[in-house]
Amino acid sequence: MKRALRKLLTLFYRDLAIARGYRSAFVLEIFEALFAVATFYYLSRFIESPQLSRVLPQGRNYFAFVLIGFALFDYLGVALDSFDKMLEDALQNRVLEALLVTRTSLLTILSGSLLYPFLTAVLRTLIYLAWGVVLFGFSLSGANWLGAIIVLLVSVLAFSGLGILSASYLLLYKRGNPAKWILLGISALASGMMYPVSVLPGYLQFTARLLPITYSLDGMRAALLGGAGLLALRSEIMALLTFAAILIPLSFFVFSWALQRTRVTGTLTHI
Amino acid sequence: MGCPAILAENLAKYFPPAKSGWRALAQPFAKQRIRALAGISFSVECGEAIALVGVNGAGKSTLLRLLATLLHPTSGHAQVCGVDVATKAALVRTKIGYDAGVEQSFYGRLTGRQNLRLFATLNGLSRQEFADRIERLSELLELSPFLDQQTRTCSTGMLRRLSLARALLHSPEVLLLDEPTRSLDSASAVAFRRYLKNEIIGRQRATLLFASHDISEVEELADRIILLHQGQLRMFGSPRALCAAAQNNGLEAAIRALTGAG
Repeated sequence: MKRALRKLLTLFYRDLAIARGYRSAFVLEIFEALFAVATFYYLSRFIESPQLSRVLPQGRNYFAFVLIGFALFDYLGVALDSFDKMLEDALQNRVLEALLVTRTSLLTILSGSLLYPFLTAVLRTLIYLAWGVVLFGFSLSGANWLGAIIVLLVSVLAFSGLGILSASYLLLYKRGNPAKWILLGISALASGMMYPVSVLPGYLQFTARLLPITYSLDGMRAALLGGAGLLALRSEIMALLTFAAILIPLSFFVFSWALQRTRVTGTLTHI
Repeated sequence: MGCPAILAENLAKYFPPAKSGWRALAQPFAKQRIRALAGISFSVECGEAIALVGVNGAGKSTLLRLLATLLHPTSGHAQVCGVDVATKAALVRTKIGYDAGVEQSFYGRLTGRQNLRLFATLNGLSRQEFADRIERLSELLELSPFLDQQTRTCSTGMLRRLSLARALLHSPEVLLLDEPTRSLDSASAVAFRRYLKNEIIGRQRATLLFASHDISEVEELADRIILLHQGQLRMFGSPRALCAAAQNNGLEAAIRALTGAG
């Protein structure tokens, strides 16, 4: 019995010793919890509001509003997770060195690794919407599909820039990616995924304007629920294109720098 | 006369000490103090087979990884086929085949063929070229019995063969192999060495730089030997020259004498 307990404790100390090497991951979990609690606080405030129907845009019900919020937020998660996951998989499988000595750049490999997750995200969105339509009376009769597709495409471009930035951190530090968790946390809290941005305090409304997903959500809801045409969507599309124009070159630059640093420090294939 | 296949000039590689906890945040910017290689200079001609020899920690793998563009030199220069490994890494990668000697370096849920096809495509091979090459390599490395098996179910020896096949698939001009026949049974090792010598070096005129602890392998394949010790080049010459320098008839004893390993 004593021996078994000692073995269990030894295994616990092993994990503790490994975790001590990644203390930032622990701190990030504390912040992640803060974002989650704050999100639910504002959600409850919104739901308890007597003016709920007035603050909802496009005069739709909350179900339609939040369904699109969840479906689109999935793409941000995919963009931020896929690059990390590809790198983590390659590190765990010890394939990264073999990939890096091929005639294909790591950025191309990362971009190619995004196709499958994005296609599955599209499929998931369609399933979300289909369940909503079939079982819960969600109506897409007046939707502007072209507008929705364009908003989605420019959103994916902007999100990909964030994903590559996030992967740069992982490349350098291997674990506890704060870029990803902070961005996901702030986006969940402030972008209007579960409630309109208008219910948030001023400083969070300002933060929302700095997040690409805010414009994606506005544009997607306007296209799918309000049937807004391309002219009406132009401000959201332009905002997302601006994010993409800044984030993609910036992320390529940062990623190339991070890759170069790992070649200098010899930590490229460290797990 | 063309440029050398591999050229190193005063090449050095230092690593920063590993940091943990909050100090790990400064790791990418830490000063590189731990010496892995220093003052390495040599030149290898096209079609030569060169063995990298030395005890563990001598710097053999670091040198291979520098030439494979996986590491950036701290100082000095290295070129592969006249192309600088630090400034034109992408171009260097079009010329090399590299095998790190790590067996578990495949996507376990994919079959051997699927894994090799992925790497062949990333190396720019067409479907037809892949089909032709895989047929030839299957024959040589006896891949057929497990080629369509998920690699997570393959033995170490099988993975080793797949790994070598991956390095050879795109017919590189320069082959960088880290302990190529480790984990192979003796018959397969002999067949592979014969293939390297006759086909890759003999017919294709590719250049081979390989790290090895197997003296018989070194004797069989190497035209010249780079002897590394504690990150420095102790000697570069033919096996006979090494023996002469150590005043010893056997290569193994000569290497031991030259590295002061008794």
